[in-house]
Amino acid sequence: MVNLPAVLGVATALFGIGLYGLLQRRSLVAMLIALELMLAAISINVIALTTLTGQDPSLGQVVVLIFVGVAAAEVAIALSLFVAIHRAAHDIDVEHLSELKG
Amino acid sequence: MSVADGVFLLSSAVALAGALLAVGLRNIFHNILGFALAMLGVAGIFASLGSDFLAAVFVLVYVGAVAIAMVYAVMLSHPLDQPHRPRSVPKIAAAVLVAAGVAGALWNVLRQVAWPVAVPGADAGAAVTGRRFLTDYVLAFELISVLLVVAMMGAVMVARRSRPGRGTW
Repeated sequence: MVNLPAVLGVATALFGIGLYGLLQRRSLVAMLIALELMLAAISINVIALTTLTGQDPSLGQVVVLIFVGVAAAEVAIALSLFVAIHRAAHDIDVEHLSELKG
Repeated sequence: MSVADGVFLLSSAVALAGALLAVGLRNIFHNILGFALAMLGVAGIFASLGSDFLAAVFVLVYVGAVAIAMVYAVMLSHPLDQPHRPRSVPKIAAAVLVAAGVAGALWNVLRQVAWPVAVPGADAGAAVTGRRFLTDYVLAFELISVLLVVAMMGAVMVARRSRPGRGTW
């Protein structure tokens, strides 16, 4: 049951759900959540493609740990930006943040 | 059906259900709870693939740190009291269409590739990963540390309330 197509299918579904959320939600925090879901799907792919195809599994773990570190840094910066944006514009709805729109 | 199969099925169901809750519900706080549930499911998928260390890392970082940070950001930017505006149906339809199209195209590619047959692989446990991280990949390890410190300082700088008479920063 834990075979490669099943794991890749779950990861693809998770990626699709994340992409839908990124396109459809208007709150910046909700868009960040959707982005993290897509990153998790990619991590699942890396782990599945290194452990289930006979490659070096610890290499995949190292790569995914780097992903997690970059994602944590990204979340820290993004959330502080949202707080700063809310302080300046009193809103984190992307459709209202259109001051620079031509 | 082995234990790993059961863990994989359960974790996949939890991950997908949590992801649907995370993008589908209206309340942003419920979205964060769904996100935490989805990450628990992803950690379970890692555990079923033999990556026990990564499963622990995902629970610690995503459920323990990222979800809590998101709750704090929501509390600081209280979007909960803003009135819900109706969603426009064409935009939802377009988002569903694009997401389904991309996922379908990805699945079509993944399905056609002849992946190498699995052989009983090397140990993917925490001991091997830790040893590789501090020998072969020590540069990546150190770079993550530097990146996290810089990101943390940058987050403090960006979110800091500027004081009057002291310029923007």
